[in-house]
Amino acid sequence: MKWIDAIIQGLLLGGLYAQYAIGMSLMFGVMRIVNIAHGDLVVLLALIGISAAVAFGLGPGFVILLLVPVGALVGWVLQRGILNFVVGEDPLPSLIATFGLSLALQNFMLTIWSADTRSLNIGPLALQSVNVGGLHAGVLPIIIFAVAVGLTALLDIVLKSTRFGRGLRAAAADKDAAVLSGVDTKSIYAQATAVAVAILGIAAVFQAARTTVSPSDGGAQLIYAFEAVIIGGMGSIWGAFAGGLILGVAQVVGAYVNPSWGILIGHLVFLLVLIFRPQGLMARQ
Amino acid sequence: MTTTPLLSARRLSASYGDFQALFSVDFDIATGEIVALIGANGAGKSTMLKTFVGLVAMRDGEVRFDGHDVSRMPAHKLPANGLALVPEGRRLFKGMTVEDNLRVAGDRARAIWSGETPWTLERLYDLFPILGERRNQQVEKLSGGQQQMVAIGRGLMTQPKLLLCDEISLGLAPKVIGEIYEMLPIIRQTGTAILLVEQDVSLAQKSSDRVFCMLEGRITLTGKSTDLTREAIAEAYFGAKHEMD
Repeated sequence: MKWIDAIIQGLLLGGLYAQYAIGMSLMFGVMRIVNIAHGDLVVLLALIGISAAVAFGLGPGFVILLLVPVGALVGWVLQRGILNFVVGEDPLPSLIATFGLSLALQNFMLTIWSADTRSLNIGPLALQSVNVGGLHAGVLPIIIFAVAVGLTALLDIVLKSTRFGRGLRAAAADKDAAVLSGVDTKSIYAQATAVAVAILGIAAVFQAARTTVSPSDGGAQLIYAFEAVIIGGMGSIWGAFAGGLILGVAQVVGAYVNPSWGILIGHLVFLLVLIFRPQGLMARQ
Repeated sequence: MTTTPLLSARRLSASYGDFQALFSVDFDIATGEIVALIGANGAGKSTMLKTFVGLVAMRDGEVRFDGHDVSRMPAHKLPANGLALVPEGRRLFKGMTVEDNLRVAGDRARAIWSGETPWTLERLYDLFPILGERRNQQVEKLSGGQQQMVAIGRGLMTQPKLLLCDEISLGLAPKVIGEIYEMLPIIRQTGTAILLVEQDVSLAQKSSDRVFCMLEGRITLTGKSTDLTREAIAEAYFGAKHEMD
């Protein structure tokens, strides 16, 4: 029973990691950009959300409604203003640019919000749980998990069967051939990053609701997103989702074995995947 | 054919870094015409096509297409204006199905005038029935000839007024080449002009109205396909050095 509980809690934690990971996977899959500032963007959006909630007395639902367009705008500006100038065959320029952005964002957030930890007050929802056959699961983690499934499925459908999704996949497969078919790659990259950061707007609310955030937290969130993407297979959306769940389960099961091992076991599972299946579990071929 | 050409290039020059690939090239093609471009490897044929569609930046000169100066137009806007390139090596979108490959181009096609017959998935599947059968398969599972049909189909889905075809016979069996070249008159019937880059000189001559021959970045010969002698082509193809042996 204890281990079933650990796995369930792990899956629910993994739902949040999956929300981080699908946007990162989208950006990598389309542009080969590893966005080092991914975690810092989660924290930035979370802090904006917390401040807005305090200032205007917004509930978590309204904070999501606010952060999704803010995230989309931030992503669009980030791509148009910075990343479109460094995207290309060589992954190094974009890596350096997003690394620099990560440092800049952290210091910017320290200036505005100081180093205090904050969290989003979501009222009684934070403590509610359901009991099924002796197993307890928090309502908030269940919501987070359901949203992760919904976002992944929605993104998958968009990629498979919309004009935008086809253009995105074409640009990822062969940029020049996509241009020859009329795809405006710079514009479609901006839309992809807007989608990726808009998803982080949702993840940010959940992160701020289930725990605390402070300006220097981005690094850990980046590592979890990155590990989930690698475990699942670079560029695969459902792979990123599965990678998030596996990482979550590894961390919680590890913590049940020894409370101080949780994060470590997560990293070990990531390393094992890198050794035995470096292309990831759900990568094509 | 002396009316306003569909595409005309004047004094076109292009280079890759220090290497100049095109030297002040003049070129014309009329509506509904099939023109073949021949020449040895490195003569500048592909570069000329890529310069037309904006994949290679032109250093000097002007390209007018359908009454507009398109010299500075971003490459992704040309298909919607009626100028499409079937690139050398096919360059299909791997991991995507036949139909999705075609749809990417169809999504961003030129707006069709009333009275025109647009290229649709159905018409393409009539033209290439095997593509209809394999529409839901990923393109990398198709044979080379079938992949070439997808590449041509993808070009047609942009509703081109001029289709540039860069070595569409490359690496294909003679029978398959024949099948693909049989489609060119059918494509032309819809009013689409075709510019072919072709290694096989006699095939180029046979399937075109006019031939342009290139050598070292310059046009060395132009004329009606039926008028050109083998000797004239050989001289233009290999240059003056050839006359000495």
